[in-house]
Amino acid sequence: MATSRALSRLALRRAAAPTSVFTRTFATVSPSRPVVPESQTSTAKEPSPEKDARIKTFHIYRWNPDEPTSKPKMQSYTLDLNKTGPMMLDALIRIKNELDPTLTFRRSCREGICGSCAMNIDGVNTLACLCRIPTETTQESRVYPLPHMYVVKDLVPDLTNFYKQYRSIKPYLQRDTPPPDGRENRQSKAERRKLDGLYECILCACCSTSCPSYWWNQEEYLGPAVLLQSYRWIADSRDEKTQERQDALNNSMSLYRCHTILNCSRVCPKGLNPGLAIAEIKKSMAFT
Amino acid sequence: MATLARPMALRQALRALPKPSHVAFRPCSTLIQRPLQQHFVKQALQNTTKAVGFHATIQRSILPPEPQTVLGTVNDPAPVPTPSPTHGNYHWSFERLISAGLIPLTIAPFVGGSLNPTLDAVFCATMLVHSHIGFQAILIDYIPIKRMPGVRKFFMWLLNAATVVVGIGLYEFETNDVGVTEAIKKLWHA
Repeated sequence: MATSRALSRLALRRAAAPTSVFTRTFATVSPSRPVVPESQTSTAKEPSPEKDARIKTFHIYRWNPDEPTSKPKMQSYTLDLNKTGPMMLDALIRIKNELDPTLTFRRSCREGICGSCAMNIDGVNTLACLCRIPTETTQESRVYPLPHMYVVKDLVPDLTNFYKQYRSIKPYLQRDTPPPDGRENRQSKAERRKLDGLYECILCACCSTSCPSYWWNQEEYLGPAVLLQSYRWIADSRDEKTQERQDALNNSMSLYRCHTILNCSRVCPKGLNPGLAIAEIKKSMAFT
Repeated sequence: MATLARPMALRQALRALPKPSHVAFRPCSTLIQRPLQQHFVKQALQNTTKAVGFHATIQRSILPPEPQTVLGTVNDPAPVPTPSPTHGNYHWSFERLISAGLIPLTIAPFVGGSLNPTLDAVFCATMLVHSHIGFQAILIDYIPIKRMPGVRKFFMWLLNAATVVVGIGLYEFETNDVGVTEAIKKLWHA
């Protein structure tokens, strides 16, 4: 089955992409794969609505890789908010449990620590577990996967490139000299304070996928999340490879595709400021 | 409602309406059918304006996404480019210097009445370099070099040629005519 699917995709492709080990076609949330609107799809309804039910409609992006030729579609679900938890993730879990078990999404900690449930809710990238359901029942909610990412299934984006980029900045302490007292790499309180607002990042990719520059040049531009982590190690007083880290960013694509659009700082569900971190990297590299 | 104010959105909504000729030439358009037709027209307009509200611009697939490719294995780091300060930090610092320099040069004629020929030439040159760098950034952003290297090269050379032409034009204007600030002043008071 999997082989025939791969073969059919190969046949559908117009030009073979060079220098790749394996190739997959996925639907993306983009005009080239128009989404079937919810007006043309069925609606899964609340199983047993009560008299004073607060029925709210959710339109959710669906795409099944087992039917590669079918278009992505918007599927509608109605839920009674009285029986649903307050957060968007509660609604999704309830839909999966009670209305449609085929709905696919990532979730783990349900409290904004793991960053699994990052998705585009009502036009804003955020964590479903930290996003309250708007109680306005007349207003319909729309849930999409993270924008401009390859979609694995339904609300699950493919973050392979994102993690590869994270790996490329060497996110670990690099030191050649042993600590002076032979025991620990010590830091002053002021030096430690520089890492506040950087180490809290959970790599949910909300910021990177909200950045237009990252949309256009995902392959080469590292994106706000990875650059924030890069600055976390550049700013670390214990790290001795600052120069190498800066050299790795010193080209036209990796860092300087940031045009301070600041969507990253706006959407960060943890309230961090990747825009500021990128500006600090640029400042530290300017006139040197 | 705000989308209706946008001409682009309206045009797209109107395009979705059934062509008037089809309605006019249909021989059996009875009176009973007319309200039905109007209903459909209204429905179509409503549906499209709804969709148009979601898509801010007309959908055009200029550079549709290619199938996903992964360089190496999934666990390899993304390749790190070789450092090139001329495209990296030198370029960025130079860009900021030019931009910062333009601020006093733009304010100066407002304060001092007009610029002397030398300062005027400096103003023109910085403006030219500033716009060249700006257009270069647009080309780098929107024409991916890996996907369309030929197109990128063509546009880069087109930009270089345009900058040279504008440079020559400005030189002529500065040496044989009144100069840019004086010309703007004259136009302003004309």
